Amino acid sequence: MPAHPSPSRTRRSPAAPRLAALLAAAALALGGCGSGPETAAANSPAGTGEPVSGGTLVYAEVTPINNWQTQAARFYEKANVLNSVLDRLTYFDPEKGELVPWIASAFSANADSTEFTFTIRPDVSFSDGSPLDAAAVKANLDSFGLGVPAAQIQPNVDFARYKTAEVIGADQVKVTLEAPNSNFLRATSSVTAGLVSPATLQKDAAGQSAISSISGSGPFVYESEKPDEEVVLVKRDGYAWAPDGADNPGEAHLDSVVIKYLPEVAHRAGAVQSGQVDLVRGLQPVDEAALAASGNQVLAADGVDLTVNMAAVRTGSGKLGDPTVRQALQVGIDRQSIKDTVLSESYTLAASVLNHQAPGFVDLSTDLAYDPEKARQLLDDAGWKEGSDGIREKDGEKLEITVTSSNNSVVIKPAFELIEQQWRQIGVKLNNRAGDNTFLTTAMPDPNVEFFGTRQFIYGGLGPIFEPANNTMTHTSDPELNALFAAERAAAPGPERDEVLAAEQQALVVDKAFSLVLWDEVQVYGAHRNTHIEFTSGTAPIFQGAWKVDG
Amino acid sequence: MARYLVHRIGQALLVVWLAYTLIFLAVQLLPSDPVTIFLTSDSAVDQAAIDTMKRQYGYDQPLLIQYLQQLAALLRGDVGYSLTSGEPVTERIGGAIGSTLALAGSALVTAAVIALAVVAAAALAPSPVLRRALANLPPLFSAVPVFWLGLVLLELLSIRLGLLSLFPDGSFLSLAVPVLVLAVHVSAPMAQVLLKSVEQVYRQPFIDVLRAKGASPAWIFYRHVLKNAAGPAMTILGITVGTLFAGSVITETVFARAGLGSVVLQAVTTQDVPLVQGLVLLTATVFVAVNLLVDLLHPLLDPRILKDSRQGSAPALVS
Repeated sequence: MPAHPSPSRTRRSPAAPRLAALLAAAALALGGCGSGPETAAANSPAGTGEPVSGGTLVYAEVTPINNWQTQAARFYEKANVLNSVLDRLTYFDPEKGELVPWIASAFSANADSTEFTFTIRPDVSFSDGSPLDAAAVKANLDSFGLGVPAAQIQPNVDFARYKTAEVIGADQVKVTLEAPNSNFLRATSSVTAGLVSPATLQKDAAGQSAISSISGSGPFVYESEKPDEEVVLVKRDGYAWAPDGADNPGEAHLDSVVIKYLPEVAHRAGAVQSGQVDLVRGLQPVDEAALAASGNQVLAADGVDLTVNMAAVRTGSGKLGDPTVRQALQVGIDRQSIKDTVLSESYTLAASVLNHQAPGFVDLSTDLAYDPEKARQLLDDAGWKEGSDGIREKDGEKLEITVTSSNNSVVIKPAFELIEQQWRQIGVKLNNRAGDNTFLTTAMPDPNVEFFGTRQFIYGGLGPIFEPANNTMTHTSDPELNALFAAERAAAPGPERDEVLAAEQQALVVDKAFSLVLWDEVQVYGAHRNTHIEFTSGTAPIFQGAWKVDG
Repeated sequence: MARYLVHRIGQALLVVWLAYTLIFLAVQLLPSDPVTIFLTSDSAVDQAAIDTMKRQYGYDQPLLIQYLQQLAALLRGDVGYSLTSGEPVTERIGGAIGSTLALAGSALVTAAVIALAVVAAAALAPSPVLRRALANLPPLFSAVPVFWLGLVLLELLSIRLGLLSLFPDGSFLSLAVPVLVLAVHVSAPMAQVLLKSVEQVYRQPFIDVLRAKGASPAWIFYRHVLKNAAGPAMTILGITVGTLFAGSVITETVFARAGLGSVVLQAVTTQDVPLVQGLVLLTATVFVAVNLLVDLLHPLLDPRILKDSRQGSAPALVS
């Protein structure tokens, strides 16, 4: 992850706060009241100056984690830390919009995407001293693709149809799949495909869950842990194998990174403002302006590797079985007013199920324009007539639907509160259970709960999350969509696959409307004015390239 | 005494067993089994993986067998494995309980001191206006939510004044502030009940006798009133353990402290049912144990309880 996404990609937003930071720092220095650190800040503001060596960066995550097993790292709290501990075969460079070499100095696929060959970079070692060679890569790939049943480790969902890996020659690994999967290479760039040492792989699920026993080849190494309070990482001396094109090809600038937990959302901006942490994730939109005004940084890290935030539709209750109804709800959402009311300038409204920078993105914003008249007409056409209380009915049943979501996103609940009001205008009643984690327990496996507010990693393409009949996102398996997903996996990367991707987006968002899209996935971070930090396309902080002005 | 002891301990064990059985049944009433619930937090579920894991954890067995197996394991001190981390539930809880005990224990002692101080001040204050004002403190304490007081203190002490770290750093303040926040809340019911029973004792004739003999107000309060009023307050102390536990969970979250609070939060949000089961069982056991302790201490304050027990009936209100 050491490669630096360009500032325009990470939207080091907005420009004004950075200017304010500069002015504030300059004012302090000119006024002569700037003691040590402030003066240093004025001389070399973070984000523009030369990297500074040394220092400890304090990073506050949202909730503590006690399972660090690689394949289970599908949550930000884990991925954001493991990102700096584990290297991967490939790296997705959001600036170039393509995969670049990392531990695999070269990689290739056969014409029908069933065989993949990786050339393993020489002289890379894990932090426990063992070599990261072709044999170690094979062992990792087997564990991802097949799981380790005896150790209770499940296969990685992005490695669908994996068959086998074999070591060829001295430094090559060949992977064979049972069926074509053109998303396979991208899956090797995910943190959930982070490479661990053979000794770590020998452990069972419980053993691999402890961060103390995880040995990777990344720029940082585990040093100590206070369970549920903090994890300390120190830089790996001699690290020299950052991804191709990384601004910092070698050792991290920082000496160490301390990960702490700040479950209380109200303190996140204050933690940065008071200088107690250098970087914090999960800033509330209402706190962004205040933090920027205090001369610190509001950084929006785009989630290129994820779907947009959406209400994924479930049809189990039958009320949303008719695509016309789903289309009505899609145009019955006034997205601009969601942005104006509960989001901020850090958020981009969705124009598809993929984020704007994702490869193959198609702009469907004209189909998503707010049109309550059209929505009412579509609902009339579908046979849902307005009842005496303003709620539509059909066959004695009211158009009353429910949404569930976790409380992990700071903005999802207020967003659905607004949608609830907007849908009321077209005669639809929404029960807003967003942000209620207890309800989520029962709602997740229940196809009768009509909406699941979510966003998902798409390293394996859209197929793994929408396709399986038992997927908990939509609980719906649509034969036409499944044919598209299969075509996507079989298509050659490039124009051929982009065409299929476009058809998928058109079907998911417009024609079948299984995904009521809301806004591009973004994680809003707060950073101290002295901190320089950039993010991966999966929104993880790149600690290897980070530095602090005051060291 | 021995008979009373056996009777109360037997009751306590019965309550814990019933609590365990209720938890077991509650889990069965969930729409799905713990393994499926846990694995469905990822979007695509592999049925084969679910089946394997179910076999591993014994969730594929008939209900009665599961129940008996779990109960037998429980008697051996085995509460099962946490689904998220794979470590034994006892280890997961054991690793976190120390911090919570330190917080809750200090808060309980502090709360008792606060309650006693408020009640003594309210009883002995020289002016009636001051006495009334002090008597209104406990309702105010119970009206202030734990998380609100915690947030306000952190905002003030940590973010504005920079005196306190947002994270536990081993300093005196980083334990004292959360303890105080929790203790203020927990002291409220103790102080209220103690105040009421103190008022009742003051109305009894023997107080007039003491006054007539010329005893000082402080002597009367500490040597006679407090001793006679302590019984109900002690009962409340037992019941307070529940409040204390719930308060600890909130306090730990607000002050980013490790402890059972974060374990509960994670167990619930990740649907780690065996861990939740273990936590509920622990809470029930602590609650029962503390109340048992209170019951066993009662006879020391009021020997009439033993007499009633010997006659084979609970102390009756009307006789």
